[in-house]
Amino acid sequence: MGTVDLQHVTKRYGSVQVITDLSLRIDEGSFTALLGPSGCGKSTLLRMIAGLEEITEGACYIDGEDVTDVPPAKRGTAMVFQSYALYPHLTVRQNIAFSLSLARAPKAVQDEKVATVARMLQLEPLLDRRPAQLSGGQRQRVAIGRALVREPRVFLFDEPLSNLDAMLRVQMRLELAKLHQDVKTTMIYVTHDQVEAMTLADKIVVLDKGNISQVGSPLELYNRPANKFVAAFIGSPAMNFFTATIAGRDGETYRLALPGGRNVTIASRGGAAPASDRVEVGVRPEHIRLGPAGAADTSFEGTVGIVEQLGNSTLLYVDTPAGQLIVEGEGNLDARPGQAVSLTLDAAQSHLFGADEKVI
Amino acid sequence: MTAIPLAEDGVVTLSPRRRRLIKTLDIAGLIATIVTLIGAIIWAFPLYWTLVTTFKVENDVVQPGIDLWPRRFTLDAYTHVLFNTKIGAWYINSLVTSLGTTVLVIIMSAAAGYAISQLDFPGRRILWWLILASFMVPIPALIINHYVLMAQFKLINTWIGVILPQLIAPVTVIIYKQFFDSVPKEFREAAKIDGATELQLFFRLYLPMNWGITTALAIITFIGAWNNFLWPFLAVTNEQMMNITIGITQVYDAFGVKYARDLATAMLAALPVAIVYLIFQRRVTQAIMLTAGIKG
Repeated sequence: MGTVDLQHVTKRYGSVQVITDLSLRIDEGSFTALLGPSGCGKSTLLRMIAGLEEITEGACYIDGEDVTDVPPAKRGTAMVFQSYALYPHLTVRQNIAFSLSLARAPKAVQDEKVATVARMLQLEPLLDRRPAQLSGGQRQRVAIGRALVREPRVFLFDEPLSNLDAMLRVQMRLELAKLHQDVKTTMIYVTHDQVEAMTLADKIVVLDKGNISQVGSPLELYNRPANKFVAAFIGSPAMNFFTATIAGRDGETYRLALPGGRNVTIASRGGAAPASDRVEVGVRPEHIRLGPAGAADTSFEGTVGIVEQLGNSTLLYVDTPAGQLIVEGEGNLDARPGQAVSLTLDAAQSHLFGADEKVI
Repeated sequence: MTAIPLAEDGVVTLSPRRRRLIKTLDIAGLIATIVTLIGAIIWAFPLYWTLVTTFKVENDVVQPGIDLWPRRFTLDAYTHVLFNTKIGAWYINSLVTSLGTTVLVIIMSAAAGYAISQLDFPGRRILWWLILASFMVPIPALIINHYVLMAQFKLINTWIGVILPQLIAPVTVIIYKQFFDSVPKEFREAAKIDGATELQLFFRLYLPMNWGITTALAIITFIGAWNNFLWPFLAVTNEQMMNITIGITQVYDAFGVKYARDLATAMLAALPVAIVYLIFQRRVTQAIMLTAGIKG
């Protein structure tokens, strides 16, 4: 159990509309990430599912039951906050058992459930400590434990890893993934970090200004973005964009005149035909092939500006007639600033966007 | 900050300008210490004088000149106060009315502060402004009204009559509201999801999380109620029902005021407060700073 169904949900604060007529179905047992930049409404959406924010219009169903006006405690959800919100005056044990003690569960039941959760999250040695005596990662685990002990139908995570340092974040990410495998409960996870969303979720909902931009699996979003916003938001380093002119069309294939005078042929992704002959081309850094200057059948000639060597890959910022393009090469690539190079786009992996920013 | 240069042998070497500066600072520090010391002596001398006087023979008290130490040491003043007055009853009255005031003020202020800070109800803003406005009215300005009211309720010469008007404590409400305001809303939301009712939120979250401020406010309210003179003086005419601060006025005999006895009563009256202060020194200082911050 644990399906969440949002139907035509709108959220307004006075005259400010944060979420606009949003409908979304989250499947039972899935790990869904709500991804988007700050202010896109993803936390508001999560808080509406939790019952912490009123839904201005529309309805929220959990397991088919209309919970739009049901108080938070009776929705069968549990939430992990960004700040953890561990009660500072209670020990770890009391924090985890708080909901049970509020419900006046027998002491034996409380102890048993706390022990189970503590074992699962390796919190046993910490049970008698207070939150102030714990590290960031340990606090995070206690917050998860407090959610876990309620045996909810749906787990809600509001940017739970953003207060942790980079290494701990990676470790906690793995622990969360493992937790989901173990408990198999529906999890909804809000984040602005696309790496977190890509690595954890089986379904990502990209939000932009209170609207759903695209819903899909991580690879769907990465390989087949529905619009320029998703294409730009997903992937690091970001996708390159430049403008080109349609020189000819053969069915679903477009021949484009690139800045600098060369041509490339890119197939449509099934979107609507563009209204004008100017389109935006999007191509990821790893889908641009690097070659020696003056090579035949290339897309651009350019000059290397900056070289970033990351060990496993090398990022080149190449100045071309289309502007600066980021190219990802192998880790041991020997490139120097000022070096003349040629670039070839991988047409099969390139995307076209119309004036409305939707994929062509 | 500039590092002090070290010579090769590790000894600190100072430029003449720097040496002069340090010397000036030393002198300034010395003057500040002397001024503070003089201030402390001026503040502490009346207390010392009171204490010393209580151990003097009554005749020596009224002798001309200043005796910094008793000429003849005696405990007569204390034995008189302890065995010939109703100080036992006065202590009990003070204890009951001060504790009653403290408990009620804390419960009511915390609840009012919580309601204004956390609950959404019609008239919340007006209530808040009323509390702020009541803070502008000095209590002595209301004392006649209080007396008339208590007299009409037939509460003169009763503990309740002494306690009731002392329950007006807007400062405590304001402090509680501010502390409850500063509790991050995630705690409330987490507890709401955990299934907490408003009462559980209040008793299991907000009060315990602000336990420090509750003890500080309780102590300062207790000390204030114990030391209160004006209202208990008006509200009680029966010697048996008097607080200890009022009891001091009853320590006289046919020959008039006896200074050593009066001061001995005052010392005994101050003793519990002094003990409370010594035990909870840090909390009392915190509370005084908080209320001073509100009162400006």
